Amino acid sequence: MTNPPSAQPPLGACPGQADAARGGSDSAGSDSAGPYSAGWHRLHPLTPVVRAGTRLLSLIVVLAGIAILRQGQDKGQLFTDLFVIALALSGGFISWLVTRWQVADGVLRIETGLIRRDSRRFPLTQIQAIDVVQTGIARVLGLAELQLRVAGSDSSGGRLACLRLADAEALRRELLAGSASAARSAVIGPASVPPAAMPAEIGTAPVPERKLFRTQPGRLAVAIVLSRAGAIAAAVVAVVVVVLALTGSTAAIASFFPALLGMAAVVWRQFNSEYGTRIAAVPDGLQLRSGLIQTTAETIRPGRVQGVRLVEPMIWRLFGWCRLEVDVAGPKERRENRSEGRRLRAVIPVGTRSEAEQMLGELLGSRPDPASRPPRQVRFKAPLQYHNLGWGGDDHYVVAARGRVCRKTTWVPLEKVQSFRWVQGPVQRRLGLASVLLDVAGRRVRADVEDRSAREAGDLLTRLPALARSARARLG
Amino acid sequence: MADAVRPAPGSGVPLPAARADIPDTDLSWQRPSPRLLRARRIQTALATVPLALIAGLACTSVSATTGAAAAAAIVIAGLIAERFLARRIAAWGFAERHEDLMVRRGVLVRRLSVIPYGRMQFIDVTAGPIERSLGLATVRMHTAAAASDARIPGLEREVAARLRDQLAALGQAQAAGL
Repeated sequence: MTNPPSAQPPLGACPGQADAARGGSDSAGSDSAGPYSAGWHRLHPLTPVVRAGTRLLSLIVVLAGIAILRQGQDKGQLFTDLFVIALALSGGFISWLVTRWQVADGVLRIETGLIRRDSRRFPLTQIQAIDVVQTGIARVLGLAELQLRVAGSDSSGGRLACLRLADAEALRRELLAGSASAARSAVIGPASVPPAAMPAEIGTAPVPERKLFRTQPGRLAVAIVLSRAGAIAAAVVAVVVVVLALTGSTAAIASFFPALLGMAAVVWRQFNSEYGTRIAAVPDGLQLRSGLIQTTAETIRPGRVQGVRLVEPMIWRLFGWCRLEVDVAGPKERRENRSEGRRLRAVIPVGTRSEAEQMLGELLGSRPDPASRPPRQVRFKAPLQYHNLGWGGDDHYVVAARGRVCRKTTWVPLEKVQSFRWVQGPVQRRLGLASVLLDVAGRRVRADVEDRSAREAGDLLTRLPALARSARARLG
Repeated sequence: MADAVRPAPGSGVPLPAARADIPDTDLSWQRPSPRLLRARRIQTALATVPLALIAGLACTSVSATTGAAAAAAIVIAGLIAERFLARRIAAWGFAERHEDLMVRRGVLVRRLSVIPYGRMQFIDVTAGPIERSLGLATVRMHTAAAASDARIPGLEREVAARLRDQLAALGQAQAAGL
């Protein structure tokens, strides 16, 4: 941004600097000054391979398939194939060549682009969270990607792909330490812990990490099968089996193939992203690691939590299972799979009620229960939902429970509430009811205090904004 | 639904009587300009008349009577919509309180939003061609939450500008972090 393209140092000077910095990181280890503090750095040279990733793999598979079909009749065709692959890689290679990054003066800068130079600045104070993500190919090569989450509009998050895993972890710690020291941070716990004492797998510093939760893979598999995705998949499979039994021809199955493939992808994605979820308490919040092939590590800071949701599908309740999700400020866009970014982060993909209670205590401290029941006339308006409805509130949180088949309980910190809405539909007006909705940032989580008596709803709409104001004032 | 309608002093738009079920009715609500009704009528007419013509001409290929019937049906639908315009416009209102802005709207589904000034991220003032020709503008408040929809249509242009500046100043003074 401050560097016009003409004022850049020659790009050829960069790799040497970067290598020197990497060497320094290995030897210095937990040097608190940070191995990345000076100069411009390159990404890892294998980055194009990882970035091309699955696309490259599928291209190779397709070309190999064509080659096999031709049975090597045309040798010249092989060179064309290789040329196509090289072309696919060269774009990534050029992108790698012109990308560089730097940490200086509390700002992370990423510059990229061959023809149109794109320079982005990320002030460390504005970084909400940093994830270390490893896709399957990156994991084989020992690389990792850093994803920055910044508060504000969509698509403002930056990513550094790819670095060596150890480098990525070190850089993440350094950036987080920088953001914690620069900002008046919302960190719970000893914020004055020096960066060297931050948790790490590498390094010899003591690890102040307390294990809180670990998913059981077997239970996760059963739970996904028993969830909505699993139920739809089972229905699709049942239809296929019935069609097969009735017609006896495999041709009829072909039309179901895309649906089957889609279902398998959905179920697999959920299993892959939530497999082996581990939660540990670290000085700056809760550390969350998960993933089977693509692994993610991120730290949830309690001060950044916009909402916590406890989901109890009907079938899971038979086993006493539930799911706990948190919404953290800042959008999360994954280029690899967007649909995952739209979901909330599952702190507990599936766990028992007591595990969820413990985690809720860790995330929220003392919290209200949705104990206040709706008035009796709600049974005429929402007969299925009636037994799940309820709300509760104290000085810090509002909790609302709802849901017909799947009971969803949402806790929202009052100081995070963006707006309050009072809504009354025609049926509610006939029955003397009204709802109060509490919106927090983003579009994913909301506490809906539904179907209260009109007087109570009106009272809530006057009291809650005042409570939220004093909650904000407490934070300063 | 069965609210008695009485004319409000100093305003061409009939106001519904005080509604006991909406909280904070003792506030001094400010309302959209009476010219908003004219703007909405023009918009309805602009939507209805060409649609009726097109439908009428298209159905004339079947027979002349069906064409006339189709056109008449659309015109009648437009007239029915016109009957509801006044009530919908009368339901809009906003009140500036010390710490937050209240916006109410809706006839069938009544809504009342409370938006703390500190939560407003930015404020839009927009005016379509019809609104502009009548000297009106719409003010829209945005928070970080996607769901909080606070907009006030049909404000006089000066009122809209004043409201925008005032909200921006209050928002800056009371701004809170995410």
